[in-house]
Amino acid sequence: MLDTGIKVLFEGNNITRLLDGLWVTTRIALISVILSVFFGTIIGIGWSSRFRIIHVFARFYLEIMRIMPILVLLFLFYFGLTRIAHINLNAEMASIIVFTLWGTAEMSDLVRGALTSLPKHQKESGLALGLKSFDIYFYILVPQAIRRLLPATINLTTRIIKSTSLVVLIGVVELLKVGQQIIETASLLRNQTAAFWVYAVIFLLYFIICYPISQLSFHLEKKWQS
Amino acid sequence: MTLFLSVSNQMDLINEGTILIGMDYLFFAKYAPLYYEGALLALNIAAISVILSIMVGLCCACIHYYKVPLLKPSVSIYIELSRNTPLLVQLFFLYFGLPKMGIRFESESCAIIALTFLGGSYMSEAFRSGLESIGKLQLESGLSIGLNKIQLMRYVVLPQAFAIALPAIGANIIFLIKETSMLSVVALEDPMFVAKDLIGMNSDTKEALLLLVVTYIVMILPLSLILTFIEKKVRHAGYGH
Amino acid sequence: MITLKKKILSLVLSFIASVGMGFSHQTNAAGFNTLDQIKKNGKIRIGVFSDKPPFGYVDSNGKNQGYDVYLAKRLGKDLFGDENKVEFVLVEAASRSEFLLSDKVDIILANFTKTPERAEKVDFAKPYMKVSLGIVSPDNAKITSIDQLKGKKLIVNKGTTAEIYFTKNYPDIKLLKYDQNTETFNALLDGRGAALAHDNTLVFAWATQNKGFTVGINSIGDHDMIAPAVAKGNTTLLNWINDEITKLDKERFFHADYEATLKPIYGDKVDPESVVIEGDTH
Repeated sequence: MLDTGIKVLFEGNNITRLLDGLWVTTRIALISVILSVFFGTIIGIGWSSRFRIIHVFARFYLEIMRIMPILVLLFLFYFGLTRIAHINLNAEMASIIVFTLWGTAEMSDLVRGALTSLPKHQKESGLALGLKSFDIYFYILVPQAIRRLLPATINLTTRIIKSTSLVVLIGVVELLKVGQQIIETASLLRNQTAAFWVYAVIFLLYFIICYPISQLSFHLEKKWQS
Repeated sequence: MTLFLSVSNQMDLINEGTILIGMDYLFFAKYAPLYYEGALLALNIAAISVILSIMVGLCCACIHYYKVPLLKPSVSIYIELSRNTPLLVQLFFLYFGLPKMGIRFESESCAIIALTFLGGSYMSEAFRSGLESIGKLQLESGLSIGLNKIQLMRYVVLPQAFAIALPAIGANIIFLIKETSMLSVVALEDPMFVAKDLIGMNSDTKEALLLLVVTYIVMILPLSLILTFIEKKVRHAGYGH
Repeated sequence: MITLKKKILSLVLSFIASVGMGFSHQTNAAGFNTLDQIKKNGKIRIGVFSDKPPFGYVDSNGKNQGYDVYLAKRLGKDLFGDENKVEFVLVEAASRSEFLLSDKVDIILANFTKTPERAEKVDFAKPYMKVSLGIVSPDNAKITSIDQLKGKKLIVNKGTTAEIYFTKNYPDIKLLKYDQNTETFNALLDGRGAALAHDNTLVFAWATQNKGFTVGINSIGDHDMIAPAVAKGNTTLLNWINDEITKLDKERFFHADYEATLKPIYGDKVDPESVVIEGDTH
C-alpha cells in the first residue's frame, strides 16, 4: 500500500509538474509582493503626512481589506468583476490584483507605523538644514524606516505565499491543482493512497519555501532590534 | 435543502423583482437565511477554535517562557510547521490525506483541528511577546516580597502580559474567523459555500456575491471596531515603553 | 533631486500601466467571441474537465486527455488545421456556465448535460453523448434503491445534474457537496457518505477501476444529452459546431472516440450505443 502510494509521485513528469505548479504559486506571490511593497510604501508615506483626507481614505481601505477574507476578494474579482463591470481577468491576473490590494494595505500600515515611530527631531533637524519635505522623506526618514520595516515585510511575504494556495479555488492551475490532477489519474490506476502522499508532499514544499524566509525575518528582527 | 424547490415555485415572482437595476431583490429575502445559517456555523466553529487556540497558545508560551526541557523543542517544531504552511493545504491533508492511512475525522473536527493547529501558534506568539515584555525588575521585586513562582505568575506576570497581548489576541480572533471562509473544501456549509452553491445552481452571481460581502461585514466589522477601541485603551495603559 | 523625483514618478506610471494591461482584455459588447473573431485570434479557448477521467483529465505527463478532449482537439484541427491551436481551460462543475457567461472560454466541452435551466443561460449545440444519473456504493453496503438513502448521506459534486436532481426531488436526503470530482470520489473512498450520485457514465467507469464499489442504481432521473455549449447568442460559433457534429457523425467519429478513450476503461461491460449518440438519434 505504502509503496504504490509514493510511486505515483515518480510517474511520468509528475515531479516536474509539481515543481511547475510551485513556480506558478511563487510567481503570483513574488509579483504581488513587489507591487505591494511599492504601492504600500507610497500610501504609507501619504498616510504618515499631515493630509487628513489621505488618513481617512487609507484607514477605510485598510479596514475593508482586513474585514474581507481573501477568498471572498478572489471571487469578487474573478467572477464578480466580469458580471458587473464587464472586465474580464484571467484567474492568475485576478489573483495578482487581489494579493496586491491586500498586500498594499498591510504594507502601508507597516510603513506608516515605521515612519511615525521615528523620533520627531529627525524630521525637525532636516527642516532646520533647509531640506524640502520630499528630501527629508527620501534621505532621512525612509532609510531609517526600512531597517524597522524589513523584517515585517519579509514576514508579509510568507503570508502572501501561504495565501496563494487559495487561488486553486478560482481555477488557477498551481501546486494544489496539479496535486489533485495527479491524485485523480492515480485513482484511475487503482491507486487509492495517492491523496495522502501528494498532500504530504505539497505540505512539505510549502514549508521548504516559507521556513527559510520566516527564519530570515526572525534573525533580521533580532539583529536590528537594538 | 429545499432551496431548489422554492426557486421553481417562485420563478414568476423573481422575474418581477429583476426589473429594478438588474438586481434581484427577492433573491436577498429568500437566500439571506442560508447565509445567516452559514455565518452561525462559521462563528460556531471559529469560537470553539479560538478557545482551544488560546489554551494551546498559553501552554506553548509558558513552555517556552520556562524553557521546559524536551517540550520546548517540540513546541518550536510545532510553531514552525504551523506558521509556514497554508491552512488550505492543512485542511486537504487532514480531510483527504489522513483517511488513506486509516485516520478519519468528520468535517467539523477537521475544521476545528486545522484552525486550532493554525491559531495555537499565532496565540502562542501573542502571549510570548506579552510575557517577554515583563521586565526582570518586576520579577525580582515579586520574589523579594516573598511571592512564590506560581503567585508571581498569577498576580504579577499574567495580568500584565495578558493586557499587552490583548490587541494581538483580538487580531488573531478576527484572523481565525476570516480563515473559516475556506471550510467549504471540507463540505461545511459556511457563507462561502452558500455563495458558490447558488452561483453553480442558478448563476445569480451578482446577488450571491453581494450577500456574501454583506455577511462578512456583519460578522467581522463589529469585532474589528471593538479591537480598535481596545488597542487605544491598552496603548494608554502601556507603561515603560 | 529633480531627476530622482522624475525617475520615481515614471516608475509609478509604468507600474500602473502594467497593472492596467491586465484590465485591457475587455469583453466586447456581446460578451463573446464570434467565429470570425476566433479565427482572427488564431486560437480557440475550450473549457474541459481536468479531474473527470476518462472524459476529461490530465495525464501524468501533464497533457489533457479523454472523450471530451478528443472532440476538442478535432474541432481545433478542423478550424485551424492544427489541434494545438486549442487552448484548454480547466473548469470545475459548478462554474461551467459562469465560464461562458464571463467570456473565459469560447466552448464548454466538459460533459455538460443539457437541462432547461442551463439552456436559459447558455446555448447548447447538437449532443454527442447520452447520460442519466447513476449511484455507486460500497459492495458491503450496496444501495440499490433510493429509499435506502433516507437518513443517510449522499455525496454529490456541486453544480452537477445530480445535485439539482436530488435537491429538487428528494429534499430529505442529506447531501454532502464538494467542488471537484477528485474530492467527491475521495469522500466516497473515505466512507464519508453512504453512496455517490453522478453521471452514470462516470460512476460506471469509476467502479470498474475501484475494487469494492459497485453501481447499485444504473439509471435514475431523465435520460439526458451531453452537448457542447457556447455563450447565449453566439450563433456563428453554434452553427459551425452543429455542422461539424453532423459531419463527424457521418464518419462515425464518436465511435472512434469511444474506442480510443472509453473502451480501455469500460471493456466489454458497456454497450457503446448506450453512451454514444450518432446519426439518426438526432
